[in-house]
Formats: sequence, C-alpha cells, structure tokens
Amino acid sequence: MISASQGTRLGPAGPARPTVAAVCPARTPAEIFWAHGIRTIELWDPPGLEAGQAAAHLPPMTCGVIRQGFDRLVVERSPGPDLLLFPHTCDSLQNLGSLMRDLMGEPRPCLFFCPPTGRSDGTAEAFFEAQIRALDAELDRLVGPARPGALERALNWGWRRARLLRALYDRRAAGGWEVSNGRFYEAVRSCERLWPEAAMARLEALLAEPAGEAPGHTPLVFSGVVPAPADLLDRLDALGVRVAEDDFMACGRRIPRGEAQDRGEKQIEEGGNPYRILARRLLAAPPCSTVGSPIGERLAFIESLVARSKSKGVVFLSLKFCEPDLFDVPSLAAGLKARCIPVMSVDVELGPATPAGLVTRIEAFLESLP
Amino acid sequence: MSLLPDLKFRAMKDVVLPVLMARSGRRRPPKADPLFGPPLKSAVELRRIMTRHYALAPYAAGARPVAWVTSGAPVELLRAFGCYTVYPENHGAVCGARRMGPELCAEAEAAGYSQDLCSYAKIDLGHALSGKGPAGRLPRPDLLFCTNNICQTVLYWYKALAHRYGIPLLMLDAPYISGARDEGAAVSYLTDQLRGMVPELERLCRKAFREERFLEVLAASRRASGLWGEVLATMKRRPAPMTVFDAFVHLAPVVSLRGLPVCERYYEGLLTELSARVEAGVAAVPGERHRILWDNIAIWFALKPLSRLFAEHGCVGVAATYTSAWAETAHLLDLKDPFGSLARTYGLIFLNRDLGYRTRLMASLAREYEADGLVLHSARSCKPYSIGQYDLRRKLGESLGLRSVVLEADMTDFRIYSEEQAKTRLAAFFETLEA
Repeated sequence: MISASQGTRLGPAGPARPTVAAVCPARTPAEIFWAHGIRTIELWDPPGLEAGQAAAHLPPMTCGVIRQGFDRLVVERSPGPDLLLFPHTCDSLQNLGSLMRDLMGEPRPCLFFCPPTGRSDGTAEAFFEAQIRALDAELDRLVGPARPGALERALNWGWRRARLLRALYDRRAAGGWEVSNGRFYEAVRSCERLWPEAAMARLEALLAEPAGEAPGHTPLVFSGVVPAPADLLDRLDALGVRVAEDDFMACGRRIPRGEAQDRGEKQIEEGGNPYRILARRLLAAPPCSTVGSPIGERLAFIESLVARSKSKGVVFLSLKFCEPDLFDVPSLAAGLKARCIPVMSVDVELGPATPAGLVTRIEAFLESLP
Repeated sequence: MSLLPDLKFRAMKDVVLPVLMARSGRRRPPKADPLFGPPLKSAVELRRIMTRHYALAPYAAGARPVAWVTSGAPVELLRAFGCYTVYPENHGAVCGARRMGPELCAEAEAAGYSQDLCSYAKIDLGHALSGKGPAGRLPRPDLLFCTNNICQTVLYWYKALAHRYGIPLLMLDAPYISGARDEGAAVSYLTDQLRGMVPELERLCRKAFREERFLEVLAASRRASGLWGEVLATMKRRPAPMTVFDAFVHLAPVVSLRGLPVCERYYEGLLTELSARVEAGVAAVPGERHRILWDNIAIWFALKPLSRLFAEHGCVGVAATYTSAWAETAHLLDLKDPFGSLARTYGLIFLNRDLGYRTRLMASLAREYEADGLVLHSARSCKPYSIGQYDLRRKLGESLGLRSVVLEADMTDFRIYSEEQAKTRLAAFFETLEA
C-alpha cells in the first residue's frame, strides 16, 4: 500500500555539521536551508507514537500535527534532525517551539521564523525579506556561510520544483492519466523530505509516465491540512474518486500558479535580490488560512480548482482543533453551495486508518452528486 | 455620517442616558457577604458606565463609524477618528458571566463552526447570526480592527466577520517575539503599519487625521492604563483590599473604554477607594492566609462560586497574568514618538512573547505579590494561553516552590466544565497550601 503520509524516519545526523532540519508547517523558505547544504524534513503528519509524550506536555485541544510532531521531535533525538524550525503558523505551533526551547531545555538549535500574517503589501514584503535574511544569518552562524552562488542555485531548484509540481497538477486536473491518488501524492509529498534534486527526479519520473487508460473515476477537489488519515487516498481509489485538484495546506496551497510562477522565474533569470524573490514567491502562493488570506480569495481559488479540473464537488477534511482552517470552512462551504457546487465537510484526525464512518459519508456524497 | 442619527446619538449620550443612569446610580450597592470584606462601592459606578456603553452602542450606527475591535488593538488610533468602538471579547465575557455562552456558541455551531473553536469567537459569531445577547443586538460594524498580539485566532474570527458583513478589516500584524533579537524588526514593522493606517482610516471614516487629537487620546490612554496598574498594585498589600476576581470585573473599562475620559475618571475613583481600604486595613477576604497567582482568562460563568471557594479556604487571588496585560507596557507610550511607542506598547505585551518571558513575568508577579500558590486555568478555547502551562507550572514549582493546580475549563462555555471536578482539584490544592 502506498501512503502519502510521512512514514519515513527523520534522517540521520551529519558527522561534522548539521545536515537535517526538521521544519514545522506551513510556509518556509526551504531554499535558505538548501543553500547551506541542509536537507529539510517537514513535519506534517508523521506516524503517531504509542509511547508518545505529548499528553504530558500538551493540553487535549492540541491538533494532531502538533502532537505527532512533538512526539517525533522529542523521541527521535538521536538519530534525528540536527536543528528545528518553528514558523509562526498558528498559536499552537508558536507555543510548541517555545515550550521545547524555553521550558523543556531542547538541546538542538530551535529557529523561529515569523512570516507576515493577514497582510501582503509592501510593508509585509519588506518585513518578510528581513525575516528571511535573519534566518539566513542564523544558519550562517550555525553551520557556516553558504558557498558563493549556492543561494541562487537553491532558488533555481525551488522554481524548477514548483514548475514540475504545477505540470503534474495540470496533468492530473486534465484527467486521462492512470495514476492513482496514492502514487500521485506520494510523489508530490516526497518534496517534504527529499533533497530537491532527488525530489525533482521523482516528479520528472512520474510526469514522464504515459497517459495510459484512465479509470472513469469521479473528479473531486479536496481541501484540508493534509490528505488524512494515512490510507485515505487508497480508500478513495477504491471508491472510484480521483482527487483532481487540492487545496491542502501541505500541497496545492503552496504551489505558485499562473502569473506568480512566471513572474518569479523571470525575476530569477534577471538576477534580482534573492531574499526579495523568496519573500515574493511565498507571498504569491495561493491563499491560505494560516497567512490570513481573506475568505473571498480562498473561495475564488477553490472555485477555480473546481473549474479547471471539472470536479463534481468539494470535500473539506477538517482536521480537529486546526483553528486556521476550521474558522474558514463554514463560509467557504456556504459560498460554494451558493454557486451550486456540491460540498461535503467532515472532521478528520491524523492516524493510520480511515474510519468506516468517513468512508460511508464519502460514498453517500458520491451518490448525491448530479 | 448623517445628521439624524447623529442627533439621536447625542441626545441619548448627553440627555436620556445620563438621566436614566442617574436613577440607576441610586441603586443600593451589592449586599455584604460574611466571607468577604465590604463590597467595593465603585462596583455601582462600574455597572453604570458599562451599561451606558452598551446602551449607547445601537445609537452609534449611522452617527459614528462603528468599529469592532480586538482587545489588544491600539484603539487610540480609532478614537482619534471618532469611531465608536465595540469589543466582542468584552461582550463575550459579559455573555459568559450571564451564562449565555453555550446558547450563543450553539448558534455558531449550527452554522457550521466547530465546537472546538474559541468560545469568544463563537459567541460573537452566534450573536452576529442571531442577534441574541444580554445587551441586545450590537451595532453593525462599519469596519473591523484586529491585532494578532493576543492570539492568531482573532484574525481567523475577524476574517469570518469581514466576509459576513462585507466590510473592511484593518489588520495590524504583530510578529511573535521570540527572544530579544526580534524586537527591533517587529517594532519597526508595526510602526510602518500604524502609519500606513492613517490614510486608510481617513478614507473609511471620512475624517482628516488630527495629530493633536491623537496625542490627547494617547495621553488619556496612558494615564488610564497607569491607573489600572496602580489599582492592581494595591493587591501587593497584606491584607489585599480586593481580589483578582474583583479585578477581572473591574478590568472592563480599561479594555473597552481606554483613551476616553470616563475610563480615567473611573480608575481614579477605584484607586481612591482601594487606597482608603489599604490605609484602614480593610481585607477583601478577612483572615487572609494564602495568596494566589492566577494564570489565564477568567472563568466568567464561575467567578462567584470560585471566589467563594477561595475565600472559604482563606485564599486570596492577588495577581493574574490576564489583568496585568493592560498595564504591563503602558509606560512605553511616549507622546514624543506616538507611532513608535504605540507599536512597542502593543507589540511587546507578554501574550505576544515566548514562554520563557512569561515564566519570568509570572515569577516576578509571584514574588512582588508574595503569592504562595498558583492556579492555572487551562482554557479549552485559548491555545496560546494554555499550551505550555503544564511545563510552566513545573518550572515555577522548581524555581519558587509554588504549589499549583491546573483547572480544565473555558472562559464562557460551561458545557465542558465540571464544577465537581474543579472543586475536588481545588480542595486538594488548598490542602497542599496548608501543609
């Protein structure tokens, strides 16, 4: 069974200097790490641990991403990541980082990164650029300065990877491609843990696969944090559902599309300020609850996904206790319904297996589609 | 803003309400309770000014730009433009105290909002959807003003309001301060945003910015917050002249009315009364034996039973991180640098800082107020306040020897509160204090 969840262990520590950074969700400039020769592993939905310590440190209303990430980080110290990055994505994540660093005496370097929230104007861009510079300087201090030209090369990887992802999404949205949900997202989400060149090789390999005979699956758009539970994608394959597009925080919401991608590539070619290019790339990503995007923008984005993929409806997988998304979902669902787009909203939790009730609800939703 | 609503607003403000309030001002003060010292006389005035604030609110629509504001937002800027401000968080607390939390939360839940979301937000969304509330329907906002220095939740919540009402959301993004090195960049970013809001507000309020007026408001706000700090500081005295449960209630004006003369006057009166009690040795809880530091927002629906339970065991809540938030950085307001100092005052509050800072703040409060116990309210609604409390408790126990207890509850939603469990936990905690 192919699972797109993060089933791999965090990578081994480097012998002489940090080589692996555990990066918490959601939006970070990975290029800064790559320029320093550091592989990033994003912690979205690592498998839960039976002997986890989360309950002793975190109150019950903490979401699965935080709880499972915490367990991984605390239990897998050695071998494990050499440094940790906590972006200011939500209240829970900010406190998780501070809890580990300030109250639990985490020995590994804990880096904080504060992207602008609720703004995307020039003031926000300047602040963002300064944050990225500060992160770069912090890594210089920790592992030594990046080699000349390393950041520019990393920027190119970032854009090439994004271009490949966009091509994959375009192809999937168009249909006529015999690639299961599981295989598609396994490739897409490999970017969360692989060195960019390795990730690109995997994306290229998938893209090179011939069209084949596409099964007549029902195309749907999915929204949420990640495709969860871990076996959901396989269950969807079995149910005859094609995830034709997605608004997942970990996936589709991070891929620049259309003009934003083209503009960014042009800026790289022209050799502009790399920090500003990165800031602009992150600000130009599709709307997301975690950066405070207006609901109207999110609605328009999801509607565009439905249109381009000719999807029959939208499924919101609402991760329990994920405040950023949970606040948006009622307005998004109402807005889509008002546009005559069928919508289903279900609560999900991270875990290995899809509950039977969720499968039944998806079946019922499929039956209700015109 | 049009003429007729303006006339109605002025008539209510200057004629009708003062008459009505004068009558209510003749009401008798609360009855004495043998567990406590004499009730605070200022409570009558508090009720009067807060009732007036909510009674006047519906008449502001059309007469003044109505702004719904988060509790940690620099309201001084809005006051300079003559906005009538409504604080949904304060309204949420009032609903909580009146035990209307679950009813209004259920309205929001029926519209699809998860039961797991912040109950202040759900009360407000439930109110917006249903119009229910102890003060009737709040005036429809013309604009929303949000600062994420207290939590990120307020942004998600205000986005939902902006979408529902189709009105502008002014967002002041306050970067989370992790360690001292971030302060400069954060303050500069905040300052730039505040300056940038002036033309935006001029457009929305159709009123030119007058720096003189802005400085007047800043000065009034600084004085009110300073007075509030002095009010809280009276609880350093033994016996304490009031308790944190009183402070939770008397907090309302500095949250909702700071920058207005009424706020300043109110705290002058309260401080005078408390100073007289200190002078005369009047105890809020006669026979005070233990002094407690409270962490997190109040449990509004259980204020009275909790305060009685504390008093029965000779315990006085003498300090709270929550009440301190509106006094902590007031001294940073500097009329010579209005925008920069406003950025520092609101951007550097402890709720926007890491847990190491909060630990030091709590240790300092425990020492200054001579607390020997710590009650941590783990509020299901409030993640930034509650995540990390288990380790905060351990840390403060190790460093200061503070006995402590965690109460699992919520600010307003008593559906998830077990009174019996809370009593049992507190009884065990009080026993450890006596040991």
